[in-house]
Amino acid sequence: MDLQGLQMTQNTPTPGVYKRNPPIAGEAEAIEAAKNGDAEAFSRLYALHKRRVYTLCLRMLGNVSEAEDMTQEAFLHLFRKIGSFRGESAFSTWLHRLTVNLVLMHLRKKGLNLVSLEETINPSEDDAPKRDFGGRDLQLTGSVDRVALERAVASLPPGYRMVFVLHDVEGFEHNEIATMLECSTGNSKSQLHKARLKLRELLRQPEQSDQPASLKEVAV
Amino acid sequence: MTDPSFPHFDTMTPADFEKYLPDFFANGDGHVSTDPRLQNFLKNNPDCAALVRDLEAIADQARSLFEPTEPSEAVWDGIRNKLKLQGPEEDDLPIPQTV
Repeated sequence: MDLQGLQMTQNTPTPGVYKRNPPIAGEAEAIEAAKNGDAEAFSRLYALHKRRVYTLCLRMLGNVSEAEDMTQEAFLHLFRKIGSFRGESAFSTWLHRLTVNLVLMHLRKKGLNLVSLEETINPSEDDAPKRDFGGRDLQLTGSVDRVALERAVASLPPGYRMVFVLHDVEGFEHNEIATMLECSTGNSKSQLHKARLKLRELLRQPEQSDQPASLKEVAV
Repeated sequence: MTDPSFPHFDTMTPADFEKYLPDFFANGDGHVSTDPRLQNFLKNNPDCAALVRDLEAIADQARSLFEPTEPSEAVWDGIRNKLKLQGPEEDDLPIPQTV
């Protein structure tokens, strides 16, 4: 697997999200126009990519307000740096990477700056999944409710959520995640596994009937 | 899945299985339940098989979570306002007026 991942990295300039990001009609023209200072082209690029960038931020941060702030920052950064885009990868992949890096920088500034991310992505023992197999669970076997899963992902500790989103939702390989998070590949695998275990645990908990309606409606 | 550090698939314990499960997931196509070398073990350890099915279901459903969500209009307003405040001298770029 490691070899496969390495080969993908070498043969494909932008693995992970690249395969999900085919070129968009009219995008190339908008990029070139934006590089030349065309204001409407910026608007077009924002309209084309705002949902994906915002959704990525929302998944990684689990918070609407922060996600909107980081979306804003990502596009401001894009507008400043678009001249450096050389087309070696899909534009959406480039923007995706830019956004991931900005979110990671943001998280480090929030409190992950004193020690390495490798250490801080490990949540406290209270947040860690229980180390047992548990019994067979007919609630989960075979299917998982999407809304319930989204809610569970939003409630994951930040380190677990980050690795889960990058791997299972965004499609990054462990070696790519390790590079982004400055941790080992083994740590990425371990964190992903713990995240899935934690999600299983959360999904097996009976839904609380006294949960505020507004919270139920928020799908993050 | 040819890593020599893996235990013997037919004699490993549930504890071994738990230890190596992250690698089992990472080394295949993400579906441990269909790995032919693990079939006997999973058949003889239904709780482990249930765990695998649950984790696979979570991973499979995760792919559907990437459904784009619309940011509020305040995001674009904020971008425009910040570009106005910063001015063209920093970036030498125009300010987009519409989305």
